[in-house]
Amino acid sequence: MKKIFAITGAVFMSALFACNNYLDVKPQGQIDEEAAASDPATAQNLVTGIYNNMWVGKLHGFPFIGVTNIASDDADKGSSPDDAAPTQGQLDNLTMDANNSTFNDLWSGYYQAIARANKALGSLESSTSLDAATKSRLQGEVHFLRGYFYFNLVRIFGGVPKIDKVLTPAEAAQDQYQTRASADDIYQLIISDLEFALANLPAKGASGSAVGRATKGAAAGMLAKVMLYRRNWQRAFSLADSVITGKVGPYSLVTDYATIWRQAGANNSESLFEIQTGTNATCDAAVEVYSNSQGPRAGGKRGWADLGWGFGGPSQSLVNEYEPGDKRLAATVITVGPTGTILWDNFRIPGRDSVENDRYNYKAYHSRTMEQFCGNQDRLPKNLRILRLAEVLLIHAEAALALGNGGAAAADVSALRVRAGLAGKPSVTLQDIWHERRVELAMEHDRYFELVRENGLAPGTAVAAFSKHGKTFVVGKHEVFPIPFTQIQFSQGKLQQNPNY
Amino acid sequence: MSITVTKIRGAWLAGMMLVIFAANALAQQTDPVKGTVKDSATGEALIGVTVRIQGTSAGTTTGPDGSFTVRLPGESGTIVVSYLGYVSQSRVVNAGQSGVNIQLAKDQNQLGGVVVVGYGTQRKRDVTGAIASVKGEDLARQPVLTATQAMQGKVAGVQIINSGQPNTQPQVRVRGTGSVMGGANPLYVVDGVLTDDIRNINNADIVSMDVLKDASAAIYGVRAANGVVIITTRKGKAGKMEIRYDGQAGFREAAHLVKMADRNQYIDYLRDAAPSKDPNTDAAAYGGSTNWYDALLRKAFQMNHNVSVSGGSDKYTYYYSAGYIEDNGIVRTNDFRRFTFRANNDLNISEKWKLTSQLSYSRGSGQNVSLFDIYGNIYRAAPVVPVQEGGRYGNTSAWGNVANPMLQVDKRNYLQQDSRLQGNIALEYNPAKWLKLRSAFNADLRWGYDRVYNYQFLNDDKTFLVAGGNQRQDNSKLQINDSRQQGWVWDNTATFDHSFGKHHLTVLAGSVTEGFYSTFLLGSRINVPAQKDLWYLDLGDPNVQSTLYNRGDKYARQSFVGRASYSYDDRYLLSASIRADGSSKFKERWGYFPTVGIGWVMTQEGFMKDQQLFDFLKFRASWGQLGNDNIPTNAYINTATVNLPYFFDNSITQGIALQDTKDNNLKWETTTQFDVGFEFSLLDERLSGELDYYNKKTSDALIVVNIPSILGDPDNTYITNAASFKNTGFEVSLNWKDDISKDFSYNVGGNISFNKNEVTNLAGGQALLGGGVGQQSYITRTDNGQPVASFYVLESLGVYQSQDEINSDPNIKNDPNKGNIRPGDLRYKDFNGDGIINASDRQFVGSYQPKYFYGFNLGLKYKSFDFSADFYGSGGNKIYNGKKAYRFENTDNIEADYENNRWKPDRPSATDPRLITSNLPASTYFVESGNFLRCNNLTIGYNLPEQTLKRMGLTRFRVYLTAQNLFTLMRFTGFSPELPGGTIDYDNSINNRVNTATNSTNNTSGILDAGIELNAYPITRTFGFGVNVSF
Repeated sequence: MKKIFAITGAVFMSALFACNNYLDVKPQGQIDEEAAASDPATAQNLVTGIYNNMWVGKLHGFPFIGVTNIASDDADKGSSPDDAAPTQGQLDNLTMDANNSTFNDLWSGYYQAIARANKALGSLESSTSLDAATKSRLQGEVHFLRGYFYFNLVRIFGGVPKIDKVLTPAEAAQDQYQTRASADDIYQLIISDLEFALANLPAKGASGSAVGRATKGAAAGMLAKVMLYRRNWQRAFSLADSVITGKVGPYSLVTDYATIWRQAGANNSESLFEIQTGTNATCDAAVEVYSNSQGPRAGGKRGWADLGWGFGGPSQSLVNEYEPGDKRLAATVITVGPTGTILWDNFRIPGRDSVENDRYNYKAYHSRTMEQFCGNQDRLPKNLRILRLAEVLLIHAEAALALGNGGAAAADVSALRVRAGLAGKPSVTLQDIWHERRVELAMEHDRYFELVRENGLAPGTAVAAFSKHGKTFVVGKHEVFPIPFTQIQFSQGKLQQNPNY
Repeated sequence: MSITVTKIRGAWLAGMMLVIFAANALAQQTDPVKGTVKDSATGEALIGVTVRIQGTSAGTTTGPDGSFTVRLPGESGTIVVSYLGYVSQSRVVNAGQSGVNIQLAKDQNQLGGVVVVGYGTQRKRDVTGAIASVKGEDLARQPVLTATQAMQGKVAGVQIINSGQPNTQPQVRVRGTGSVMGGANPLYVVDGVLTDDIRNINNADIVSMDVLKDASAAIYGVRAANGVVIITTRKGKAGKMEIRYDGQAGFREAAHLVKMADRNQYIDYLRDAAPSKDPNTDAAAYGGSTNWYDALLRKAFQMNHNVSVSGGSDKYTYYYSAGYIEDNGIVRTNDFRRFTFRANNDLNISEKWKLTSQLSYSRGSGQNVSLFDIYGNIYRAAPVVPVQEGGRYGNTSAWGNVANPMLQVDKRNYLQQDSRLQGNIALEYNPAKWLKLRSAFNADLRWGYDRVYNYQFLNDDKTFLVAGGNQRQDNSKLQINDSRQQGWVWDNTATFDHSFGKHHLTVLAGSVTEGFYSTFLLGSRINVPAQKDLWYLDLGDPNVQSTLYNRGDKYARQSFVGRASYSYDDRYLLSASIRADGSSKFKERWGYFPTVGIGWVMTQEGFMKDQQLFDFLKFRASWGQLGNDNIPTNAYINTATVNLPYFFDNSITQGIALQDTKDNNLKWETTTQFDVGFEFSLLDERLSGELDYYNKKTSDALIVVNIPSILGDPDNTYITNAASFKNTGFEVSLNWKDDISKDFSYNVGGNISFNKNEVTNLAGGQALLGGGVGQQSYITRTDNGQPVASFYVLESLGVYQSQDEINSDPNIKNDPNKGNIRPGDLRYKDFNGDGIINASDRQFVGSYQPKYFYGFNLGLKYKSFDFSADFYGSGGNKIYNGKKAYRFENTDNIEADYENNRWKPDRPSATDPRLITSNLPASTYFVESGNFLRCNNLTIGYNLPEQTLKRMGLTRFRVYLTAQNLFTLMRFTGFSPELPGGTIDYDNSINNRVNTATNSTNNTSGILDAGIELNAYPITRTFGFGVNVSF
């Protein structure tokens, strides 16, 4: 009998031993938090992951084109009348409501990017394998990107929840994160992020920098722009000045405006920051549907293999803004002629009767024959120019004018006018600078925010501009877009809607 | 373990030696012993009783008069007389003795025999749970691949939904659908191996299939919530060697096809649907008059051969079998072959030690076709386009229609192979009569190989009769998937079994350790040469569109089981079990799954002694908790998204993101089940049956919950344990059997099950949408208070007959779309009363889950003939005619019946609209009755008479004719009322393997989209001829 119990006992004991640690099975072929933490490359890879996020359509694709260009007086919805009428059509007519999916896309897209940035910051903080210089540079890059993401968010929605660390689902349910921080609070975060970036990033071409990574120049330019929105003229001026004078890296205007947005102009001497598509090795390394959604579209008699969906073509109001002889018009607007239009790469768009719209965005045009093309229409490799020297000149001009330095302002504006084939100006008004801004940066995803900013300085500007465009801008409402209704629901109603939506 | 392995090896050798000894033992000769065997109660001679000489494999069986003759190896010995359903007897006899009269008594304890209950067996009469048992011979009789198909209609409470495709398993629902995201199919236990796939098991090898329907399944703990099906394979019986051959051959055809519009009907429809299309003006190109079903479908050959050798002695028994199935699909080129081999051995090393093994190997191989595409395109292909002429194909896509399905079939070669080695080796030790210790090692090794080759062809006039269209494959493409799975389970159990006076106690305790690992390597390249011998990835273009995936999965479990069964006087029964499951799949490692059951055998009571009605009557009740951990391994761990590229200095750098928000406390779903039932037999055991009521509540069910975007999760959802479901039901099964005379006996059986399924609480989770049908979007909705996957559509109120009706219809008084509505269009009910018809007017209109399903069967034996018929049906459910609703183009073909009935200005119709276009919303117009009754199997057999057999030296020779799915009565106008859902190639598609490996938790296939006939594989009808021989 004893023997029996001994054997039974032995079997059970062996099973118990087996169970010790036996259930600790690591995920196969997947990197979990623990594995990530022990890999010295993780922090760096997480930073790359944030840059990658910029290709996501929700950040810079169709919804972004909608709120920056189509909603503004620079562009029309375009395409066929019914296509995307509930989303882009509403934006074009400024009749959007909180259920328009564009806003939820932008909201979730930017918060996804911000979450990646927060994750990377946490990982960098705890990383022991990086040398101090690399670590601070990478931290600078992340702060730059997060600042830029919040800058877009605050301009689209006004104050938004301030998320500056990785949240657990339980934390996310707290009021602190469920409710909106004020726009001022968000700007504070943006400024501190960009200040950090400015202090820690290498200048273009300096050790540690690389084409595509955020640089000291990019941080200075972006912060200058933020200061313009905060009406801190002194700081805006000095930051812009540091860029123009080469203190934060070598920048100069290119001679041919038309090439800026082509592949040939990628990362040119004028570029402070742009979204890279590189060699597009994997054929999907580009902002989702960016070029395709804005490409010329067949209509009427059709009969040609078209290049896209035809959204966001330049408006008549924009065309009217150009002075005669301004070379920038032809570089910005594809005008569909009655008998066909030959583009810079010799592609011929047929006559107007076979095309859906009158005008298309030339800056978004991608040449299938003379630029990299591997067949993926939805991810055509087009670098998005987020910030370039011309804009810094205009920031410099506006800040200078506000500080009473009219001479510097005129010099900045003249530099751009001369390149555009126009005569320089001995002196400029604020309106001259704003006009120059509109034509220089047309279709570059800035106009809607810019109009709202100008309207803050000169009330009535937005209403007048939109009335020329045939639309109604409602003061006290249209300065920001509605908070997505879906997100208000998720917050159990704690997120407050913007006024009059 | 190393000790066990050595012992096993030694035992194998010993086993082989014993076979040789046993054969030698037959050689000696003595005077024969003669006698008869009779029923102790009736005095009738018993035929076919086994009479075996103890200690040898020698023996015989009784003849038609109950007589037998055996020769002892020595001067005296013991004969053992055994017969199914009777208590065995042994008798000491001397050589030359005659007139040995043996009277066998019926085994009163063996009502329905023995059932397998998990880590042991129990007498059916002692069981306190709802366990149904199906005998192997009832399964093997039908010409089907898997045993579950053959089980359809035979077990109350078990719904089997078949598809007609070769090499697929049916969907099985034991007592309703208890999960939407965790998988709803039962666990299979094949000789101790836990699996979800039994396509490797030869039906002829199965001795019994036991279904644990209620909480008694809790012995399998965290995997038992959907029920457990235990499959036991045959073993040899001590006695004379038996050689059996069972063969069957026949053909399959589509059981029912929908009649499509012919050329003229189609042209008539086009005049309204696509006025710009006129095939007559293009007669040269489109002069066809095609029935695409005739062109693509065929009568498919099918056959099944099994050979087995079994026998043994007191020391050693063996069962070897080999099986071959060839099962061709009814779509051209679709075929499947499976070879199986089995070796089951039992070796008594000594009185106390026993070694057993059950091993099987199977290899399946077949040509798959993309049935989802092919069936969709056959249904839609325009009848005006010819299939093929002089080697060139009709160009359906140039006509503005779907791809030519014949060309699709011809330009794709999809080889699938699956090899599987499965089995166990167990060592048993009986230190005392009342104690058994058993250690079993079970393994399941699997290798898969899929090879898809798409031939290159262009839309030019070399391929097509007319150039153009978009059906083309610019580059040839080869895709290869090599996969491997290995699972093992080590069971250690101790079973205590003892009687003390009227008390009987059985106690089981054990531990179960389990491991699983799988991996695959999937690659593809383009421009691989077209010769079959060159189909290797090396020969493809390494630079363009070259893909390579390699993923894996691994998990482990450690469990402890305990069960105690107590009975007093065979009258009061009590049993309880608990299983503790530790799983690597969750952060919360341990789950505990208890069950308790009681039974009361009323016929054992004094007050029942005098009644004549019942021979046996038992009341039983059980309660218990079961788990469902059918959840991907890493569903609770945050893992990185890798290979997120970006360009720095124009060169590519791969980034990562840790961005998924997951419920780190995700765990198994829990089902609490309560069951009460009666088991009875009466009228001298001619009528027997069972009644059951159950109540099954699933809590902590997985559900998708939306989360705020501030968490940064890419799809703003996460999966958590929040929802609950309820299934309540009632089951009845009755069997009647009677022997009218020596020549004529019959049996009739039937069962019916009623089930009510309801989502009781989504607890903040989102209503789950499923069953996408083209532009109609999702058809089913799983929401509070409704059955899982209820159809959620507009209510159609018939057809507008005139413009006046449209103008005055209050349902559309504010509808901005009103101007587009014309007479002949469908009218819908404005459910929310806003005068606009849109998605918010959708309503719940029933689901595919049947309110009841039933099966009945009939068996007759008259002299040498036997006849059997099986029927199956279900009712109270709905089907969505998705294929009719899903229009790709207006040029898609239509059903002849619709064309004959649709509304036309000169031929008004109250039921069918003038056109079915892609923008017709989902509505009750497409919802049809799911009721059906089918004759599953009809078999007529003829047995050679005893005398003839003797002369030929055979023990059995039977020939038979069989028909599977002979006819179906249904109101549904489609192909088949059996719509398991899921992508049709679900179980074995490459994509599924990729999805599984990416740990998507949307394990909803077949749950949320069952009952939608989108491109269903028509159920097939089989006619076959077969033969059973043994000697």
